Amino acid sequence: MSAPAGDPDASPVRVLVADDDADIRDLVEFKLTQAGYAVEAVPDGISAWEAFAADPPQLAVLDVMMPGLSGIDVLRKIRESEFSSVPVLLLSAKSRDSDVDTGFAVGADDYVIKPFSPRELLHRVNGMLARAR
Amino acid sequence: MSWDGIASGLRSFVLWIMDVTAVPIIIYFVLINTSLLVLIGLAYLEFRAQQRRRSTAVAWQGAGLAPGVSLLVPAYNEEAGIVMAVKSFLTLRYPRHEVVVVDDGSSDQTFARLEEAFDLVHVPRELPHEIPIRAKVLGIYVPRDGRTRLVVVRKENSGRSEAINVAINAASEPLVAMIDGDSILEPDGLLHVTRPFADDPTRMVATGGAIRPVNGSRVVSGRIVRVEMPQTWLPRIQLVEYLRAFLLGRTGWSRLGGLILISGAFGLFRRDVVVEVGGLDPTSIGEDFELVMRIHKRLRDEGRDYSIEFVPEPVSWTEVPVTAKVLRNQRRRWHRGLWETLWAYRSMLFRRKYGRIGWLALPYYWLFELFAPLLELFGIVIVPLALALGIVNVPFAILFLVLAYGYAVLVTLSAMVVDEWAFHKHDRWRAIWQTIAASVLENIGYRQATVWWRLEGWWSSLRGKKHVWGVMTRTGFDEEPA
Amino acid sequence: MIIGAALLVGATVVVLGACVLLIFAVVAVRARRHSRNQRDEMLLSPLRPPLITVASGEDDDGAAAEELTWATGVSRTVLDRNIVEMLTKIRGVPAEQLVHVLEVHGAVDAAVADMSSRSTVKRARAAQLLGLARAGHTVPLLVEALGDESVEVRNSAAYALGLIGDPAAAGPVLAAIGAPERGLPAATAAEALQSMGVGISEVLRDGMADANARTRMVAAHLSGERSFTRGLPELRQLLDADPDLTVRETSATAIGRLGRAEDVGILVRHCVPSEPLALRRACVVALGELGEAEAIPALAHLLADSDPRLAELAATALLSMGPDGRDALEGHGDDPAVRTARLLASLQKASA
Repeated sequence: MSAPAGDPDASPVRVLVADDDADIRDLVEFKLTQAGYAVEAVPDGISAWEAFAADPPQLAVLDVMMPGLSGIDVLRKIRESEFSSVPVLLLSAKSRDSDVDTGFAVGADDYVIKPFSPRELLHRVNGMLARAR
Repeated sequence: MSWDGIASGLRSFVLWIMDVTAVPIIIYFVLINTSLLVLIGLAYLEFRAQQRRRSTAVAWQGAGLAPGVSLLVPAYNEEAGIVMAVKSFLTLRYPRHEVVVVDDGSSDQTFARLEEAFDLVHVPRELPHEIPIRAKVLGIYVPRDGRTRLVVVRKENSGRSEAINVAINAASEPLVAMIDGDSILEPDGLLHVTRPFADDPTRMVATGGAIRPVNGSRVVSGRIVRVEMPQTWLPRIQLVEYLRAFLLGRTGWSRLGGLILISGAFGLFRRDVVVEVGGLDPTSIGEDFELVMRIHKRLRDEGRDYSIEFVPEPVSWTEVPVTAKVLRNQRRRWHRGLWETLWAYRSMLFRRKYGRIGWLALPYYWLFELFAPLLELFGIVIVPLALALGIVNVPFAILFLVLAYGYAVLVTLSAMVVDEWAFHKHDRWRAIWQTIAASVLENIGYRQATVWWRLEGWWSSLRGKKHVWGVMTRTGFDEEPA
Repeated sequence: MIIGAALLVGATVVVLGACVLLIFAVVAVRARRHSRNQRDEMLLSPLRPPLITVASGEDDDGAAAEELTWATGVSRTVLDRNIVEMLTKIRGVPAEQLVHVLEVHGAVDAAVADMSSRSTVKRARAAQLLGLARAGHTVPLLVEALGDESVEVRNSAAYALGLIGDPAAAGPVLAAIGAPERGLPAATAAEALQSMGVGISEVLRDGMADANARTRMVAAHLSGERSFTRGLPELRQLLDADPDLTVRETSATAIGRLGRAEDVGILVRHCVPSEPLALRRACVVALGELGEAEAIPALAHLLADSDPRLAELAATALLSMGPDGRDALEGHGDDPAVRTARLLASLQKASA
């Protein structure tokens, strides 16, 4: 797998993963960790926002439907915060165009629909970070 | 007359009353307990059905047949919560929905808050007049971004029912959901209540979802973060009432095909059918009940094939009264609405064309909802009196009371089992003990008080007293657990 | 009185006893859930790392998948349940690897056997598993289950057939919607048919002639969604003469999506005031979707309709139809409907 950071000595790129589904949380965390990212995984929207506010990561992967705050709510808060430029990828089972529209309208940088291919997710994360740099 | 004379006169009078009423009372007692047993039986069936449904559920994202929904939100002086509520309604999980807020002549900053939060612009639109409206519409507004699916209508104050009628006229989707601005919807709530429409698109005309008291729970940004028990006993007892009403009552009636009451705090209707029957009746007190009755009557009169269904999943959370004063107003209003609607549709009783509505649901509501407080009051008066006069002995009376109230607790507990099995919204052990305690405490004081309030409501209607709630037609506490 | 008293005591004892039982039941239900969750978690925890490795597509040498196949007994049951759940969340090579694990465990064969179980839950779950494992050879079995006595099983079978995506099942799925007493819910049927490729267009044409209104509606809806132009003659017929209003509206919308210039006439015909308002509105929207210039005079005529929404929809449709459409709005510039439609269009443009 391609290394996310060009310089192996640099500290790893930090990614926040929020999903209430333990399966997806674990597998995204594993996939991204294997690829060399430092992942913080949280199970709901509120801890996602708290984790983000406490120490903003370089990228966030958010599930849309979570208890408490939804991924859209968290995304909105991120975009209103001083770290509004952090790229965000939404992960969701919503498959209609209008849902994708809502996600992008609120400011998502990318959108992956479940069921998803973990490999594709990694490529998208890599791509987003490359563009953000 | 001597004291003894009065006592013996009273004694023979009470004896005579008890003699005359003994047989009807016993029949009633047997009937009501049988119907409770039937409810428990239905709860058991529901219990199994829920278990089946949950363990075999397939994810449904509302693709394909999910019809568009207009969420109708009447708002009167709700500046504190309206923006948060609208934001949370807009982000519900559903493929196609819009929010229609009708500012019912608020005297506070309700409109200003919305205008600021959503950058509203005035549009010169004329509203369709499918449902006739008396009050003047002052203006229609949409967000400047041209994308957020929100419409705000300002109108002169004329009450909740007409505000909803205006919202129906302004709504553009095939389904309309009547909700209160202060209720909180489950993120998946719309998917649950629209499912019957998607499954049976040509027949379904209305659905209702279960409602829970939100008191005590932790709410952030219009979403429930953690479900908790209410802090005090009054709302806790109401929680028990809601559980019973929704898990046993509505589900049972829906199963029997005789659902006649859909919650005012969350009901979903086919827009064209509501328009066809003329919308909510602004002069009615139990307007939600009245609307469903009108739909039943119209569609049965025309011999149309249709269905009204209840969805047991909790979809909406509402603040229930925490003071006896507010609770009293609510119960008086409900019983008055119940009486007036039952009376208005008395012609539907025992007529073949109204099927189970006329033969089962309506008679049940007459007998066990409308008259229940009257009979209970009779018991409350006669039992102590008979005791005092030594007509019945103390152990007998106590036993009788324990049996009567024990039955009530039994019904509540069966609802609790269903809830625990199917939904288990409360994940603390303490909640279980508190719910059990509430189902017992309900019978001590609370029940008697509500009996009295309900009779007050009925009485004020019979005396033809004008219903005085002023312009403050409070929304939010409109759900009747029955 | 004595008998009465005895009866009273008896009844009270029974009621109170039942109350106590129910309290036990509540506690037992909760305790069982807790202990079961704990047990499952315990059994699954050693298998969790290889499962995650496979699911995330990091099992390059197949060692983790191999490890998963060794599970036995209750752990295997719990693992298989977890794999089935995982299959609803991921796709691609990892999903295929997980299906292979299920096959080695015999879970697919067991599901085939479970399809004739007496338990509704077992049958439904088995059907779902067969779908998630894309077990194409079980299509006949699943088709049979479309007529199951329990709606959960019918739903699960349709869901599975959708996942497998074999267009041969389209006919039975569509027909199952209208089965008397044991109908397949329309939403499930539509979702399953959505994923069955283009081979289903003929089936949908037949479906539009079905006796059941729900079936006709689903067939009309899908013909529009999937742009099956071969269904146009049937759609026109439904719009013209179907007894069910919902079916007519659905057909109008579908014609708007895939119709041709010659369909302007039929849509215009159903915009007249004698038609139900909901249908008229659907037809106006469909004319806008169609975007054919032939519709312009009729739409311009509707700008003066007594229903303000219909007028606004007509104005919006005209605005989307190029210079000729916009010209048709001249002379109505002061109408609220036209002003509203223009304003909304400009807001949308500004934010795009």
